[in-house]
Amino acid sequence: MKKLFNSAGTMVDDMIDGFVTAFPQVRRGVLDPRIVVRRRHRKNPDEKVTLLIGNGSGHEPIAMGFVGQGILDANVVGDVFAAPSADLILDGIREVTGKAGSILLISRHSGDVINGRAAAMLAAEDGLRVAPLLMYDDISSAPRDRRSDRRGAPGTMFIYKILGAAAEERQPLAELVTLGAAVRERTVTLAAAINPGISPLTGAPMFSLPEGEIYLGMGVHGEPGIGRMKAGPVRDLVETMVAHLLDDRPIAAGKRVAVIVNGMGGTTMMELLTVWSEVERALTARGLRPVAPMIGSYVTTQETAGFSISLLEPDTEMLRLWCAPSETPAFPRIEVMPEDRA
Amino acid sequence: MTAESYFRALLARAQDRMQELNSLDAALGDGDHGTTLVRGLTGAVAAGPGLRAKRFMRTSGGASGTLFGLVLHEIEGHLDHGAGLGAGLERALTRICELGEVRPGDKTMVDALAPAVAVLTGGGSLRAAVTAAAAGRDATRLLPARRGRAQYVEGGGVGHLDPGAVSLVMLIETLDAQVPE
Repeated sequence: MKKLFNSAGTMVDDMIDGFVTAFPQVRRGVLDPRIVVRRRHRKNPDEKVTLLIGNGSGHEPIAMGFVGQGILDANVVGDVFAAPSADLILDGIREVTGKAGSILLISRHSGDVINGRAAAMLAAEDGLRVAPLLMYDDISSAPRDRRSDRRGAPGTMFIYKILGAAAEERQPLAELVTLGAAVRERTVTLAAAINPGISPLTGAPMFSLPEGEIYLGMGVHGEPGIGRMKAGPVRDLVETMVAHLLDDRPIAAGKRVAVIVNGMGGTTMMELLTVWSEVERALTARGLRPVAPMIGSYVTTQETAGFSISLLEPDTEMLRLWCAPSETPAFPRIEVMPEDRA
Repeated sequence: MTAESYFRALLARAQDRMQELNSLDAALGDGDHGTTLVRGLTGAVAAGPGLRAKRFMRTSGGASGTLFGLVLHEIEGHLDHGAGLGAGLERALTRICELGEVRPGDKTMVDALAPAVAVLTGGGSLRAAVTAAAAGRDATRLLPARRGRAQYVEGGGVGHLDPGAVSLVMLIETLDAQVPE
């Protein structure tokens, strides 16, 4: 399979070169070229809690695309599908932290958890104030009573955005950690994959799926989930997925539900908007009020075709922060109708 | 012994035993434990003072690079600043068990590290700690793996030494300059 890279050894750095020269919101870190740092409207890190995350590359625009005003202060970029090392994450923390402290977001995948938590331990040893916050939302990866074993999935974007906006308003570290955990408790995600993406490392498809079948509950690297089902009209698929999500975390009729419909990289906006319309219908049919949707391909796995649905039952403050303005290379403006604000 | 000479000596040993470590790992995992150890130590030797264990984490890579790096971080602090070795290795042991979600008996590096920590924190000598670590390493041969890739091998890898326990003994015995290379 053809891909547009110079070489395996330079593909990540070549991409970061393109990213930091394209977008004025970001620059490279001083301590290491694998750190992408917020450039515009920086606040004093002794007063504003800084937010960062380390993650493997190959999933862009997440997470470097969310560096900027109102979301992340830094992103530490690992090799393709590989967590950055603990010392590199520690450099990322040093690059942005101050007296107000930092939150190290960790999307729950084993390498990210070990290296991220080790980085937080080493930072504490150096007298830095860093709170690691584990993020997990994929209901297909573990049952509800073991939900802290679940994988991080696109619903983690609720945490990025809501905490980023709250940090921008100078909320202190302890409150932000509590808020992040509260958003996590209210978020569920389920994915469906249609066709595999091609690994930039091997040039081979990342999983296989018979023609006419859909895989329900796949992780962002093609990890197994619930199982295969026959492909049919998208309405039936979305109805099944929404039923799974609301089984896992029921939401009372009349409540607002914030939604993310995320494409995996190889699914068109035409399809994602169709998915959204079905999600909107399925939620409304249950007496729920779908609000403030984020629709697009933000957490990708190369050209994998498929999507995920994430639901958040927000309180009024969470919804306000979800829709607060931000200025980053990739995060969209989220709109809420005036009648849905309260 | 300085941190610089320690990392040089450890790299030399790891190079000598790279194939052996890779072969042990091939029975239980992906067969690259010796190679990643040598790669990480090559990076550590080239790094400046105070940065050797951290450079090891970066160049070795993966979760194992982090976990071995936490042991090397304590050894480096001991050699650079005279920090207590027993207390340092105990901290590394606690961190590894927490991060890796392992405990003694899981057929991992912890099976060699925990007995060495017990000896050192009990006031025993480095030589006695090396002996205890080696006994822990040898005992991994009969254990089934509960964590790591080896848990997916038929029989949990019973009959094979855990390569992480083997290299962990090497990390500690290199501290004892009297042990011949």
